[in-house]
Amino acid sequence: MAEKKKKGLKVNKAIGEAIAKCYQDAQTKRPLAWSLLAGGNPLIEIAHAAGIQLVFPENYGAACSTKHASGRYCEIAEAHDYSSDLCSYCRNCFGYIFAQDAEPPQGGMPEPDLFLMTTNACVHYIKWFDSLRLMYNKPLVMVNTPRVMDKGRVEDYYLEHTVREIEGAIAEIERITNIKVTHEKLSEAVKLSDELNDYWREIIEMQKAVPAPMNLPDIGNVLFPVVGLRGTREGVELMKQTYTEVKQCVAEKRGAIEEEKHRLMFLNIPLWYNLRLAGYFAEKGACFPFMDYAFYVWPPVKMDPSRPIESLAAKALYGQLNEGPDAQIDNLIRDIKEFHIDGVVIHSDRSCKVMSLGLLDAARIIRETYHIPVLVFDLDHTDERVYSDAEFKNRVDAFLEMLE
Amino acid sequence: MLYQSKERRDGALQELRYSVSNNSEVLQSAKDKTGRKIVGVFHSVVPEELIYAAGLHPTRLFAHFDEPITLADAHMQTFFCSNVRAIWDQVLKGKYPYLNGVVIPTACEAVDYIYQTWKRHNPYEFVTSVVLPFKKTENALSFLAAEIGRLKKSLEGFTGREISSDSLHHAIELYNKNRELLKKLYELRKSESPPLCGVDAYYAVMSGFILDKEQHNVLLEQLLGELQSRSDSPRADVRLLVSGGCMIDVRVLEAIESLGAVIVADDTNTGSRSFWHQVDAAKDPLSALASRCMAVPSPFTTSSEERLQYISEMIREYRVDGVVFAIQKYCESEKFDLPFLEGEIRGRFGVPTTYVETDYLADIAPLKTRVEAFIESLKAV
Repeated sequence: MAEKKKKGLKVNKAIGEAIAKCYQDAQTKRPLAWSLLAGGNPLIEIAHAAGIQLVFPENYGAACSTKHASGRYCEIAEAHDYSSDLCSYCRNCFGYIFAQDAEPPQGGMPEPDLFLMTTNACVHYIKWFDSLRLMYNKPLVMVNTPRVMDKGRVEDYYLEHTVREIEGAIAEIERITNIKVTHEKLSEAVKLSDELNDYWREIIEMQKAVPAPMNLPDIGNVLFPVVGLRGTREGVELMKQTYTEVKQCVAEKRGAIEEEKHRLMFLNIPLWYNLRLAGYFAEKGACFPFMDYAFYVWPPVKMDPSRPIESLAAKALYGQLNEGPDAQIDNLIRDIKEFHIDGVVIHSDRSCKVMSLGLLDAARIIRETYHIPVLVFDLDHTDERVYSDAEFKNRVDAFLEMLE
Repeated sequence: MLYQSKERRDGALQELRYSVSNNSEVLQSAKDKTGRKIVGVFHSVVPEELIYAAGLHPTRLFAHFDEPITLADAHMQTFFCSNVRAIWDQVLKGKYPYLNGVVIPTACEAVDYIYQTWKRHNPYEFVTSVVLPFKKTENALSFLAAEIGRLKKSLEGFTGREISSDSLHHAIELYNKNRELLKKLYELRKSESPPLCGVDAYYAVMSGFILDKEQHNVLLEQLLGELQSRSDSPRADVRLLVSGGCMIDVRVLEAIESLGAVIVADDTNTGSRSFWHQVDAAKDPLSALASRCMAVPSPFTTSSEERLQYISEMIREYRVDGVVFAIQKYCESEKFDLPFLEGEIRGRFGVPTTYVETDYLADIAPLKTRVEAFIESLKAV
């Protein structure tokens, strides 16, 4: 079959370089923090404001997985009694630590001075960072955020609690690093974060265009500035470049793949070890303009630089990981229409419980509402040992035939 | 030798055991007799005192161990805790006819998000949640007190009656009494020849999740009297502590004790964690209830270090020879702590440990083989 996929956005090169720079800088710059990305961790903007070098263990899981190192790292973690039931980002990280490889992917993550996390993602992450804290005997700065159990019900005291948590975290970071996080610095970081948000909001909006300007690997790439470079000029610049390129694609009706025949939604974390799968779909004329992992987990919540801490608190409280399946299902029903989706691919991810719960209900509701094909498969986002290429492609072929 | 003789099952213990084995019948009968609506709770972190004070009958929700999971598979993938999946399956199958509502706390992922699934399918008149903090700070305490205040309003909305401070105070006193009696019962297990074994303790605690607390207290007092007058208990040569989350499957404990060991202590949600900490009756009730909830050493709100402290105190006080970690498949927060806890307990305290995995309706034989080898190794020391 003729190759119909294209190479993706030009900005991907610059994003790749930014990822590489992050790991390079982590080798030398101090203070260094290992920080969570998930759930819009508000400590990312604060760390950038303080000039703390960050490295992200989840991103490192994805990076190791794309280099096919994760299967081995997960195996090593399991040999150290970390159960295969645990999230593969966490097992990848433990395996990387125990392996002590001379040349790990991206040069590895050097021992940190502190850990930064927010509780709004999942229990795995809380326990993961608690374990890391004990392994390295380094301080963990944790922002507690109340789970939003009913869609839209964010009590005043949820917000007040989160604001106090962030204030406490800033004081802790200042004490640990001896760096003062001034209101001006913080306000500037939030302003940059909001600028990035504006581009991100526009980019998401432009994905509604037919043909779609970005496919799954492009969205996966752009996630790095969206989540890791919030609060930095570098992040804003990368998003601006992405925005400009995407806008041009839309104006020229240039799609991410040639002959876009089908528009698909991808739910959950991609298979980092096999992003080329999107190419397999593309060969059959199917593009993924939509990925909930990118669009819902890090939604562009509006931020106000004059009230930086309140803005960061709001960012932490809203988002799919903290709000659960209710909000997700309603949003999906809306976005299937708005993004002109004619098929849904659901990754029921044994390693990401929080994003996988509710997906079986979502599949049923989508089928009942739109009568479009829905493919549900059980795999893992980082640990490729559970993946079988032939088996997966058989299922994809059957699904694509249903689309025809 | 089987540790429990038939005689030991007589008296109060017989009644406590009956209430666990026939929990549906017991709860339905209590409801018929008192007219109090029954509200299920997940986990010991829910402040049941409020539910009791609202004139309702709280009960911990457990799966009946007689039903393969079928209907729940359409909602929850098999890679979630089978205890939670089994409960949801049995909700869908109408296996809790006596239930009027449920209070679901944020705990593990499966429990957190079953709340929204529950609401979507709306099987009972009442469902609400309690959001727990993951920290144990002053800020976390004041948040949880406010959240418990919301639970109070929610319960008042359900019953149409205000929870008076007198009734809340009474409920706190009653629950404190219950916790005190259970602690006294556990004290007896420190003896060289404990008058009750792990299976007995399981029934003593679990029955408290079913029976009205007044009735449970009467039975516990009766049991304490019966046990204190006994002097024929065999010496416990191998003293074990069992650690795990929701240790609902009594077959696990029966299997362990059938091998000649005695479970003298536990660190489980269905055991000591559920009653170890009192509510300070002298303080503002909402804040005092919040303090107790935060003290429950469940892994989803407690760091590995704090858990180690809790377990190590038990090891010392109960003179434990070995620790069996019996952890439910897909109970991730327990499993995260396992490597640290095993390493520290072996390394720092010189106490051997073993790990077995449990699962709803799973064959118990492989677990028994593993524990048998462990007990043999302890006997050889």
